[in-house]
Amino acid sequence: MKEGVIFTLFLIFLTSVCDTVNQLFLKSAINSLPAPSGNILKIVKFILKLILIPRVWISLLFSITSLCIWLFVLSRADLSFAFSADSMHYILIAIASRFILKERVSFKRWLGIVFVVIGIVIISFS
Amino acid sequence: MLKKKLTLKIILFLVFSDVLETLIHLCFKKSAMAHDYFDVNNLADGVTFLSGVFSSPFLWLGLFLVLLTFVAWSTILSKIDLSVAVPIASFSYILIPLTSAIFLHESVSLLRWVGVFFILIGVVFVSLSSGEKEGVL
Repeated sequence: MKEGVIFTLFLIFLTSVCDTVNQLFLKSAINSLPAPSGNILKIVKFILKLILIPRVWISLLFSITSLCIWLFVLSRADLSFAFSADSMHYILIAIASRFILKERVSFKRWLGIVFVVIGIVIISFS
Repeated sequence: MLKKKLTLKIILFLVFSDVLETLIHLCFKKSAMAHDYFDVNNLADGVTFLSGVFSSPFLWLGLFLVLLTFVAWSTILSKIDLSVAVPIASFSYILIPLTSAIFLHESVSLLRWVGVFFILIGVVFVSLSSGEKEGVL
């Protein structure tokens, strides 16, 4: 593993944390509204209502931060490496879904996450 | 509140968001490539880097596609759990190395494909568990 890889992985970890926080805020905002059923018009209305929730704006702030770090990562790493390594957000999202959103995360899902981790370790050496 | 049913419509939405995601990352990479290995040592360098990248039309095309994905994702997340939606939307893990090799001429080594393969197995495991009754771990 080259020295720069650790730094790149750290930056990708930062974007993953931002992305996870972003998704949590978005999901929690969406959960506060009744799910739209069926036609496009209802979905558009749903999104307009969603934009009025402050949590969606916090979510947006985190995605902008994530984007800036991500662009910096892309300026010095292969896309095929950076994007694959970015799969570490699965791990963060599973943990956050389990402990913050209180969703159930099954054994199989945790097993899947272990494979994702192995995959990331392998590409870090490639 | 159980929201776990994966209908064909939701899967189509997820595939659509996969393709969008691939295009987004190709656009972002294109915009960042113009500033390869730009040294950022302080805040001013960071601003110079970002203003350079943000003046690329590819970046804005990417951002427009992000907006489209946001609409698709908002719909998806209102129907199924986040921990189900995210893994299934992950076929871009194959699409991106593939398109990076074809369009960006990156050399994707066998070892990297092996890593991608592991990530995919992980993803399949995570999505297989979506239809079951699950216990709290």
